[in-house]
Amino acid sequence: MQTFSKTIKLGIPKGSLQEYTIKIFKLAGFDINIPERGYFLRIDDPEIECFLLRPQEIPKYVEKGKLDLGISGDDWILESKAKIIEICDLKYAKQEIKKVKWVLTVSKDSKIKSIKDLEGKTISTEAVNLVKDYLKKNKVKAKVEFSWGAAEVKPPRFADAMVDITETGASLRAHNLKILDTILVSSTKLITNKTTWQDKWKKEKISDLALLLQGAVKGEEVINLMMHVPGEKLNRILKVLPKLKSPTIKKLTGENWYDVEISCKEKETRELIPKLKRMGCQGIVEWPVVKLIP
Amino acid sequence: MSATPATKPAFIEKSMKKINKIKLGLPIELLKDQTVKLFQAAGYNLQIDEGLYRGYIDEPEIEIFLARDQELTFYTKQGAVDAAIAQEAYLLDQKVKIVPIASFDYGVNIWSNAKIVLAVPENSKIKSIKDLKGKKILSRVPTLTKEYLKRHNIAAKVEWTDRPAEPKIPSLGDAIVEFTNTGTTLKAFNLKIIDVLLETSPTLFMNKKSYQDKWKREKIENLAILLKGARLAQEHAGLMLHASNEMMDKVLKVLPALKKPTVTQLNGENWFDVLTVANKKEIRKIIPKLKKIGCTDIVEFPLNKVVP
Repeated sequence: MQTFSKTIKLGIPKGSLQEYTIKIFKLAGFDINIPERGYFLRIDDPEIECFLLRPQEIPKYVEKGKLDLGISGDDWILESKAKIIEICDLKYAKQEIKKVKWVLTVSKDSKIKSIKDLEGKTISTEAVNLVKDYLKKNKVKAKVEFSWGAAEVKPPRFADAMVDITETGASLRAHNLKILDTILVSSTKLITNKTTWQDKWKKEKISDLALLLQGAVKGEEVINLMMHVPGEKLNRILKVLPKLKSPTIKKLTGENWYDVEISCKEKETRELIPKLKRMGCQGIVEWPVVKLIP
Repeated sequence: MSATPATKPAFIEKSMKKINKIKLGLPIELLKDQTVKLFQAAGYNLQIDEGLYRGYIDEPEIEIFLARDQELTFYTKQGAVDAAIAQEAYLLDQKVKIVPIASFDYGVNIWSNAKIVLAVPENSKIKSIKDLKGKKILSRVPTLTKEYLKRHNIAAKVEWTDRPAEPKIPSLGDAIVEFTNTGTTLKAFNLKIIDVLLETSPTLFMNKKSYQDKWKREKIENLAILLKGARLAQEHAGLMLHASNEMMDKVLKVLPALKKPTVTQLNGENWFDVLTVANKKEIRKIIPKLKKIGCTDIVEFPLNKVVP
């Protein structure tokens, strides 16, 4: 087996971002295997070494150069105050329903009605720095206590307020909490450090990887659509098609029908496909895009 | 308001009037997983929290309401929801008057319809329908069962039962009429099927009043097109190949007719690129045939939606 003197060390986030990260790498063309109970991941690229780590720790390891490249959320990048370089956003369109939102909450019957009322109070959270920065920005002095988890149960008995991630709000409702403010909407980022970025080989390797990952993220949102259009309706139908890319039009042999092929955003198909069917298109077929490199 | 029947509380009346939002009932329990998979295949992000009886969908004009599907039928009739997905069999059994929009052909963890069967214990003396005379049948769909017996001129007692019916015979009755998907539960309880009453598909249907609302009807019909398209795509695949001019006649004969193949001449050559869509089971037979004809670069690719 050929050994590569040069490798980049990559940190993959364990936990809620893990499944999506592995999926995006797969779409980008990289297979990552997670051995049971293992933290040394296997990736089918001998120039990459892969580690499974908590997203809270990845920014610091990237800053210190223990990792060349990492994936983590804005929340943990800000919380750790790590000096890193953001290469690109790996925001996932399908996560829209489950955005990572850090919210400030209090009990429904609490006397705290706004941020100002937090003066002198205690706030429980896992993201202590994030909350301290937020209070500073709003010129409020309050005590911020680190919480090991289950912050929902803290107000009102163990703290006056709490800051935590909410996805659907179901857990907040179950604990009789209401949202006072959204502190941060966190996205997923690909990060590196200055030293790595100055290494010509590493920079090129990482840039290529970033291009493929972004292509996979974009590809997730986009689909191909193919349909048969009767000749007399071709012009009307071309007008309603989205303009992501010029359509490819081919005349069907010996018939007054055309085959039209386009790419468009997956979400647009919800309106577009029924519309096209109503307008007289036939044989509408949608298939997935793996990567989209503009 | 005084004319409003007692079954329709005021808050329902109010929510019905809200325009630009569809209330969609989806089944919890057995059909839940497959229903979520179908929505996801159609490009929706649907999440169901069964513990809290809440559903979320990334479509602001749809509000999800969760219940067992045998209840969704009459909730739809009452107007508590504009539309819902439930087993067609409940619709037929309850004689509920609502508007069917589309059927999607799936069962519990399986992409094929459930059957409603008449079953008895393996060692039962009941060998055919005739032997049911004077016996007691526990049924998930009592009305359909009574109609079935009447058709066969058999007088037997029919009693409604909830799921599961399998463990209840022989102690509580002589035979059951129950849903079956793979037959595993029947086998586990040592039961054998005597007859199949009907096949039933999860069906999207609408409240009559909502159906008359143009916006709501189009919204639900559009959803049906997408769900149906996603369901069809699971059974089809795209096929791409290169064939020379001489092979074309034979190739076009082999390819199925769901979608007319798109044929493009390769630049400056006597070869063509052929693109088509076919049923996956047909593709198993087509690919070896194409290879024999002499086609090259045969590529099969997955589809998201197929709308004929």
